[in-house]
Amino acid sequence: MNPAALIPTPDTISVPWGWFYVLLMLTFLLHIMVMNAMLGGGIIALFSALRGDQQNTLLSKEIGYKWPYTIAFTVNMGVAPLLFVQVLYGQFIYSSSILMAVWWFSIFGLLILAYYGAYIYDFKFEALGNPRIFLLEFSVFILLFIGFLFCNNMTLMLQPEKWQAYFSHGGGTLLNLSDASLYPRYLHFVVGSVAVAGLFFALVGHFRFTKSSVNREFLINQGMTYFTYATAVQIFIGFWFLLVLPKNVMMVFMGGSSLATISLLLGILLGFTALYVGYKKQVILASTITLITLIVMIFMRDLIRIAYLKPYFQLSDLVVVPEYSPLIFFLVVFAIGLALIGYMLKLAFGCRKEVSK
Amino acid sequence: MNYPVWELTTYGGGFLIALVAIVHVLVSHFAVGGGLYLITLEKKAYKDEDAGLLEYVKKHSKFFLLVTMVFGGLTGVGIWWTIALLNPAATSSLIHTFVFGWAAEWVFFVGEIVALFIYFYTFGKMDRKNHIIIGWIYFICAWMSLFLINGIISYMLTPGAWIENHNFWSGFFNPTFWPSLVFRTGISLTLCGVFGFVTAAFLKNEELRQKIMRTCAAWSGIPFILMLIGGWWYFKAIPEPAITIILEKSPAIADYLLLLTWAMPILFIASALMAIRLPHSFQRVFSFVIVGIALIYFGAFEFIREAGRHPYIIYDYMYANQVYVKDVPEVQKAGFLSTAKWTEHKQVTDENLVAAGRDLFKFQCSACHSVDGLLNDIKPLVAKYDNVFGMDSKLNGLGKLNRYMPHFMGTREERWALANYIVSDLNQINDLNMGNPVVAAKKLPVIIPPFNKETDEYVLLAWNNLGMHCISDSDPFWILLPPANDIYAQLVKRGDSPEIITEGVEISYQVQDGFEYPENQVRFWEFADKLLGANLAPGVGIDGLKVSGVMKLEEDLRAFTAPFVPVVPYPADGSFNPYPIFTITAKDKETGKVLMTTKTVVPTSTEMGCKNCHGGGWRVDGVAGFTDETSLDVLAAHDKNSGTNLVERAKNGEPMLCQSCHADPILGTKGNPELLNFPAAIHGWHANFLTDREGMQACVACHPSRPDGPTQCFRSHHSEFMDCTNCHGTMEDHSLSLLKKEQEAGKKGAARLMENLQARTVDSVADINPRTPWVNEPDCLNCHVDFGMGETTDAFNTWTEGAEGLYRNRHDQMEAMMCEACHGSTHAVYPATINKLGANRDSIQPLQYQGNNRPIGNDCTVCHTVQPEFEGHHPNSLRLQISQ
Repeated sequence: MNPAALIPTPDTISVPWGWFYVLLMLTFLLHIMVMNAMLGGGIIALFSALRGDQQNTLLSKEIGYKWPYTIAFTVNMGVAPLLFVQVLYGQFIYSSSILMAVWWFSIFGLLILAYYGAYIYDFKFEALGNPRIFLLEFSVFILLFIGFLFCNNMTLMLQPEKWQAYFSHGGGTLLNLSDASLYPRYLHFVVGSVAVAGLFFALVGHFRFTKSSVNREFLINQGMTYFTYATAVQIFIGFWFLLVLPKNVMMVFMGGSSLATISLLLGILLGFTALYVGYKKQVILASTITLITLIVMIFMRDLIRIAYLKPYFQLSDLVVVPEYSPLIFFLVVFAIGLALIGYMLKLAFGCRKEVSK
Repeated sequence: MNYPVWELTTYGGGFLIALVAIVHVLVSHFAVGGGLYLITLEKKAYKDEDAGLLEYVKKHSKFFLLVTMVFGGLTGVGIWWTIALLNPAATSSLIHTFVFGWAAEWVFFVGEIVALFIYFYTFGKMDRKNHIIIGWIYFICAWMSLFLINGIISYMLTPGAWIENHNFWSGFFNPTFWPSLVFRTGISLTLCGVFGFVTAAFLKNEELRQKIMRTCAAWSGIPFILMLIGGWWYFKAIPEPAITIILEKSPAIADYLLLLTWAMPILFIASALMAIRLPHSFQRVFSFVIVGIALIYFGAFEFIREAGRHPYIIYDYMYANQVYVKDVPEVQKAGFLSTAKWTEHKQVTDENLVAAGRDLFKFQCSACHSVDGLLNDIKPLVAKYDNVFGMDSKLNGLGKLNRYMPHFMGTREERWALANYIVSDLNQINDLNMGNPVVAAKKLPVIIPPFNKETDEYVLLAWNNLGMHCISDSDPFWILLPPANDIYAQLVKRGDSPEIITEGVEISYQVQDGFEYPENQVRFWEFADKLLGANLAPGVGIDGLKVSGVMKLEEDLRAFTAPFVPVVPYPADGSFNPYPIFTITAKDKETGKVLMTTKTVVPTSTEMGCKNCHGGGWRVDGVAGFTDETSLDVLAAHDKNSGTNLVERAKNGEPMLCQSCHADPILGTKGNPELLNFPAAIHGWHANFLTDREGMQACVACHPSRPDGPTQCFRSHHSEFMDCTNCHGTMEDHSLSLLKKEQEAGKKGAARLMENLQARTVDSVADINPRTPWVNEPDCLNCHVDFGMGETTDAFNTWTEGAEGLYRNRHDQMEAMMCEACHGSTHAVYPATINKLGANRDSIQPLQYQGNNRPIGNDCTVCHTVQPEFEGHHPNSLRLQISQ
């Protein structure tokens, strides 16, 4: 059976695809940033807790304070990109989601458990004592599992050739385990999150946003150490990822498309730069480099998606039935929202200054 | 179709979304109102300088954060996850239409989260005024998120002008938007009080606890005003047909409507109770009970809203099984499977019949029907279909008379495949004969009475006026025709100018052995008073006659009749025999001398095929008769479809005659003048399930005319080259002719039944001539122009003018012999040699008087001792003469 025959017909869009694309990239960036802090933070907290000494324990407590925020915002920031990816690629992602329906459906329930686990870890940190590490393992493991499921879906949606498995397994239990690129992709996200989370907590220390009594220097040092080691491993995983991509996709990055090739080169360059800067423990510079790296990486991820789907679909195939007023409405609301949030943060930080005085 | 379908059996039918959505709405609406609750109490605490109250507010906000942020937020995401898995086509449509509405809602979610985090974590640290502002921002963001999702949800039920103009704002501000918003705002506020009970119940300080209990009771109770106004407004705003489905028609919704009606006052009262100073331990437990009641109340509302939308997921735009309304004509033509992407069975063949059926079920039905599950389990609904024909017919009629189902979408072959899957896989039945065994013809011996052409002076002709009198032996439950055959006889004195004798003679009739005690075979007489309002002694018919007796003279007919003879097709040996033979004897009244004897079949059958669709199987000999199961299901279907309580009445020993409500000329009942007459109703209703059938397939489903069956009532020579539809039209035509008459008489029920029927024998419904049942019927002369050989085999649409014009009531042009005397009963006119119980059973008198099967008068010397030269009885009567 011709795989293309399975691809559902997409619905029309109300404004040119570029709008959704930009919104998708922007909101996905936000999501990835917070997700890294969440997942990486949990992993670092676990490592720290396993080490067990006083400062490391305080480090894991510090992370514990922030952890529920990161989960809340990861979920919240995930809503927007999922919305936009469904607008642009709905026919692919709905199909792949259904193929792995049982797994996909389990995510939000598992996340509730992980989230409550994080709150208990946070609120009852002292009361739990050493056994708190089991709770940490519980929540971290769930988050790792959820991430794995996401990678499965995001890769399965790109491969209609694999969808015929539905006819023998229609109960929603399929995954994409036979895809060699799944594993380096997953690890690239996980290890990357450790790097970004390390950086995040170094920043927390740098800007004195700590709540626990963890030593500030220790926090920054540990953060940057995690950042550096993880970035080093990331470079290897990145090459692994590139090499197991399907030939036609890999070639796009090796000269096939100038945009893609430049992005790859830039990404590699940024990776090494980040490594160096992290080794030097320059927190703000490392943060800037990392932000740019993330933008390039997200863009490359989307170029991979476009390359995989090229035989079947491109975004310009989507039919536009114009209606701009809802977009304008959203942009106005967005602006109001930003203003409100800015105002609230000002009040919040203002009162913090009051308290610390 | 476009998308794959997640194969869920037990957890199908929408169970997952019901579960996730109902728990979500309870918490999410609490999340909206709770903001207002918190800041109101906080302000009060500041005003009263009440530290205890302030502490409570802080504790409550922690509870609030933990419940709404984690469980509330993630189950909201869960709804999104679930709808994309269960109905990707609708999800895609909604997202592509309302993406910026959802994106705006997301902005408010961010605001909510930021506000709530700040509110909780700076409690006591932030300046009071600013802290309240943060609370307000939280509440406004939360209410705006409700505002935005409300537009999308209400659009699904009432898309309003969007259907025409596809305008975002028309869809968003749709007919139920505002009522729904008012209602949901009311719920949000009530839920604050409800959840407030829980947190308050754990306060140790008794005075504080009681104070807050009273506050929560007010918060729970007062918003009922909004819910009542919003709810009433909501019902008013829902258009037809949805509102009728919700309030009357849907069997699924009825229970939830009841639940909602009870839960609302119970919630109110339970909440009000909490204002009383109750024992602490009781308050702790009861607060959770109230949350449970709220869950039931709110769940019932959401369930009704969702179920009221059936068969659509987006009203008038997309069906719940993901087919677009605009695509249905294409699907009906090209086939469902051939236009679906995710099936391996694009065409139905003999080999893949059940597999294709399984796919059809998955794609068309499983969206709403679980298999062995909790929601809308298909298995009990199809359990009674023990044969593919019946199941296929049900699918044929789907959605035509019950608006909450869609029509079956696909070709005939696909419909058959689906029926096969259901019967063989779900019901585990594999009967190739479909519950109707092949009955071989028998040869029961018939002794032809003697007639001596030389010496006998009289010719006695006797017949049953109808070729078949069907009866339903479903008496404990209902009846549509009681045992009541009409036997006729004419006595002719032979001669040069034969005479019809009506005076001085007594004509008696006697049923054959074994049939003497019909009261032992059917339960009619147990219920005759309830059914017919007539107190009949056992074995006595409606007119006072038994199965043997004396016939009465009908002067204007110049014939003798025995009306409503209560013979039944069940001889004493327990078998089924639809052709009992009666012996008719003419005697001189004075001398008692026998003038002539003859025999005639008096046909009656209980091979009425209701069980083909209503389940239950045959009761007698595996070939005829009503089981209790069949009889009850007929009533259950009637109750469900027409809002009657016939099942209850039957169970109370009060069965009814169908025609007591539905007028019927054959029984002379007037019934309820607003209802359709019985033939129009029963044919009109069932025609919707039997459309586009070949030949007499539709007729045979109910009438005892199955050629392989034990009755095979159409048994004249006409049956060798015609079938029922030649004279009576196809099922659709037949029904339309009856319904049109009723519609012209102003009966409201006709239109609904006619809506989905196409004329087939004629060009359009407009071309069908309306008729009164039993009175305006097709006539022999439609084909036999001028009494000649038939010129055509299409006798449909030209009716007799009245009952006097009917073949069975007419006489020859001399007003002497009745047509049937010489030509035999309808459906068995001579020659009739195809009787299932013996070739000569329907030809007794021709064999007796002529030695052949032809109409009486072959030749004329049967009665005329001198062969006449001119055609006195009717033109062309001398055409076919067989010399002895």
